[in-house]
Amino acid sequence: MTAGMATPAAPVLSVRNLTTTFSTSAGRVAAVDDVSFDVMPGEVLGVVGESGSGKSVTLRSIMRLIHSPGQVTGSATWHGRDLLGLSERELRKVRGGEIAMIFQEPTTALNPVLPVGLQIEENLKAHTPLDRAGRRLRAIELMNLVGIPEPERRLRDYPHQFSGGMRQRAMIAISLASNPRLLLADEPTTALDVTIQDQILKLLLELKRELGMSVVFVTHDLGVVAATCDRLAVMYAGRIVESGPVRAVFEEPRHAYTRGLLGSVPRSGAERTMLLSIEGTPPSLAAIPTGCAFNPRCSFATDICRRDKPQLSPIDGGRLVACHHHDQVAAAGSPIA
Amino acid sequence: MTLAAPAPVTTRRRLRVGRLPATAVAGGVILLISLFLGLFPQLVAPYDPTVFDYNALLAAPSGAHWFGTDSFGRDVFTRVVYAYGLDLQIAVFATIPSFIIGTIVGALVGYSGPLVQAIFGRIVDAVITFPFLVLVIAIVAVLGPGLVNMYIAVGVVGWVFYARLVSAEVRVQKRLDYADAGRVMGYRPWRIIFLHLLPNSITPAIVYLMTDMALAILLGSSLGYLGLGAQPPASEWGVQIADGKNFMSTAWWIGVFPGIAIVITGLGFSLLGDGLAELLRTKK
Amino acid sequence: MSPLPQKVLISAQEVSKEFRLPQTLGRRLRGQPPLAVHALNGVTFTLHHGETLGIVGESGCGKSTLARCLVRLLDCDDGKVLFEGKDIAALAGPDLRAFNRRAQMIFQDPYSSLNPRMTVRQMLNEALSVHRMRPRAKIPARIDELLDLVRLPADAADRYPHEFSGGQRQRIGIARALAVEPEVLVADELVSALDVSVQAQVVNLLLQLQEQLNLTVVFVAHDLRLVRHISHRVAVMYLGRIVEIGPTEQLFSSPRHPYTRALLDAAPELDPGTRSTKVAARGELPSPINLPKGCAFHTRCPHAFERCAIERPILSPRGPAHEAACHLTAFGLPSAAPIAEDTVGS
Repeated sequence: MTAGMATPAAPVLSVRNLTTTFSTSAGRVAAVDDVSFDVMPGEVLGVVGESGSGKSVTLRSIMRLIHSPGQVTGSATWHGRDLLGLSERELRKVRGGEIAMIFQEPTTALNPVLPVGLQIEENLKAHTPLDRAGRRLRAIELMNLVGIPEPERRLRDYPHQFSGGMRQRAMIAISLASNPRLLLADEPTTALDVTIQDQILKLLLELKRELGMSVVFVTHDLGVVAATCDRLAVMYAGRIVESGPVRAVFEEPRHAYTRGLLGSVPRSGAERTMLLSIEGTPPSLAAIPTGCAFNPRCSFATDICRRDKPQLSPIDGGRLVACHHHDQVAAAGSPIA
Repeated sequence: MTLAAPAPVTTRRRLRVGRLPATAVAGGVILLISLFLGLFPQLVAPYDPTVFDYNALLAAPSGAHWFGTDSFGRDVFTRVVYAYGLDLQIAVFATIPSFIIGTIVGALVGYSGPLVQAIFGRIVDAVITFPFLVLVIAIVAVLGPGLVNMYIAVGVVGWVFYARLVSAEVRVQKRLDYADAGRVMGYRPWRIIFLHLLPNSITPAIVYLMTDMALAILLGSSLGYLGLGAQPPASEWGVQIADGKNFMSTAWWIGVFPGIAIVITGLGFSLLGDGLAELLRTKK
Repeated sequence: MSPLPQKVLISAQEVSKEFRLPQTLGRRLRGQPPLAVHALNGVTFTLHHGETLGIVGESGCGKSTLARCLVRLLDCDDGKVLFEGKDIAALAGPDLRAFNRRAQMIFQDPYSSLNPRMTVRQMLNEALSVHRMRPRAKIPARIDELLDLVRLPADAADRYPHEFSGGQRQRIGIARALAVEPEVLVADELVSALDVSVQAQVVNLLLQLQEQLNLTVVFVAHDLRLVRHISHRVAVMYLGRIVEIGPTEQLFSSPRHPYTRALLDAAPELDPGTRSTKVAARGELPSPINLPKGCAFHTRCPHAFERCAIERPILSPRGPAHEAACHLTAFGLPSAAPIAEDTVGS
């Protein structure tokens, strides 16, 4: 099942039936369960979910960052080649070169014992034919691009000498070094203060425009999705439950979980009223309910929901939803309209 | 920021017997048997440990004497069994006092301010600079040989190790929010230290206690070997090994079997300690 | 929204607090005092009975330090905190315990704020018996009541913290605080560590409890939307000072301080239609070790002028119960002259 599109353009990344399982003391558990989606050229796709939804694992699975005992099956087709089937050597060329990834904690994602300039140049050395002088110039260019002041001086600084926001910019500079076509961003602003988050988000959008990249943006913050993404996919218990253009989904959510998430965010004009909250907690991956995984917490659930797992099916407007009663959910209205 | 769900991790499946770790069960079994032998040696040992049998001096292991006899004709098996009581006593008396004193002092120091901790740090440095055995021997040499003096000597020096473990852990726990929650609740410091922090800080000390018991037996045996601990004709493994040292090539069984008993009992403590560490590990 | 003529419960006056860093050899040789993190730099405000005061700010603003000073987990270096007119720093022994009973705190991290080796029953029992809230015979019933109050099942009492989810643990923390029947509840980032849907549950619970038990709440958070939703009044902090304080709606609809404006502009709206490429505030947060002279915000403020770098502005009135600390007294007024355009940039 594909995240359908209205335009005839071909997707740059096509993920099909991605499934990632881990063996735990409770048996084999699926963190990502049969996930399929497309990423269109030049778009920002938001992947939204809470803890245990599988959103970060999805990104890591695509980049083959999952180590055993985790197992990944399915396909992730990038410009005609399946990333999951590439040899180590070919994968190395793609990773960091055509596809880049940035993480939530720049403190742990940057090498603490190497100066930042060197880390940028390492990327350039691996993926571009530039010589030493060329690499240094490009590194300074990149630092300017991401807004790090005094780049010539900062090239020699170590990650701990940068503040949180600057470190995130440094990480972006490293990942953009070889002009990737696709950026995978795993909660890059979650750990940042709101004014810094604002700077980084606007920077990412600007860079996306200038470099013509596509972005997959994993987050739990619907506000960030509204501010940056063109389309979104909502994940719950390892599966995509709804996807489509951001505006359409926000104005008319068709899955009860999406609706609940939108209602959980406080919005202006309704101060000190009860928030629309979702009862209960996300299920442990080892004990996912039969039928629709969301049914114990869903106010629209009926018997069929407890028996049959709903499949992601297309509806108008390039949207997909996995819900037996999506019409009812739509009729109940959007909490933010 | 949201706490990410812990990624599903495979833990190496540790062997379990029922709900207990296999190591704890194995260690427990060994120690229970040891305890039984210590309390009721007469039920297992075929002979009287003090009786000399001049007809069977230095006899090799046989049907009548499973572990052979020593230079006085005493049955080695009997003596090894009778030694359980004394050596287990050493394991307990040479460790528990240090454990108790060290834990209390450690908890208080861990909760105190920088000055107290600095002073304590210097005490620890002073004690650990010297080899433990040398310190104990020095004190015993002053007080005179004998087990009680050995207990005193070990107590004077040994509490420092427990105090160090406990104070380090208490320092960590003190920074956690539940300690602050106790203070905001208006609980007095003694309550916070002993009823809240200590239960969460004592696991390293308990595990060390198990190892320490094994080491205490070795210590007792070493001192016994040197003539500074249990005095002959007491049945104590170290004393027996000392007895056997002159006969290593001619009557090896005199010294080797007590040695094996030390190893097995020490192993029992170690296994139990390992199992306890796993049992007591805080779940998150 | 009810007016606020209620009595003042807590009054903070020029509260200051710094955390000394270890002295380095270099500084000692040069005869300089050790560096310090200036967490609080003269915070003044009042808390009225029955209201929810939101305290909002980014890292290094000192809001968590302030929360701890209010319940005397930390002692202020300068200034004082008055509870019902009495300086809490002067309290000791039974008076201090009586104060603790009346001003409680709930913590941010659900994983470290509960003792892992105590069951819920043991925790609540302890709180109830140390403060003699109930005779021994009535305690079990009271424990059931408290669990019911925070919407936890009765069988939760005999379980350990690790058997609960993050949201449930926060409820247990709330139950523990409520066991001593406080008048003031200081919530330090109560829901920041929770998933969005769970945040909503706990926030709803807090709103209900406040109504039911007539609590006064200090809600410290970095999430503007949450603070706006739950507070009667809001104080915005930056680098250890309050830069603006006022009734929630007024503050959010017409902020009178450039930093408040920047915070509001930076917080992503849930409306996909309103997107802007302009950055709300440029530059980095200065380090609380080296406070900028004059106004703490002047290094990043698009409207800063010479006076801002020299003289520190004090909180002055802008409207009824609304104060801001800015030399531009007309900032934020709809009729004010257009101010210099924000620069786009890093």
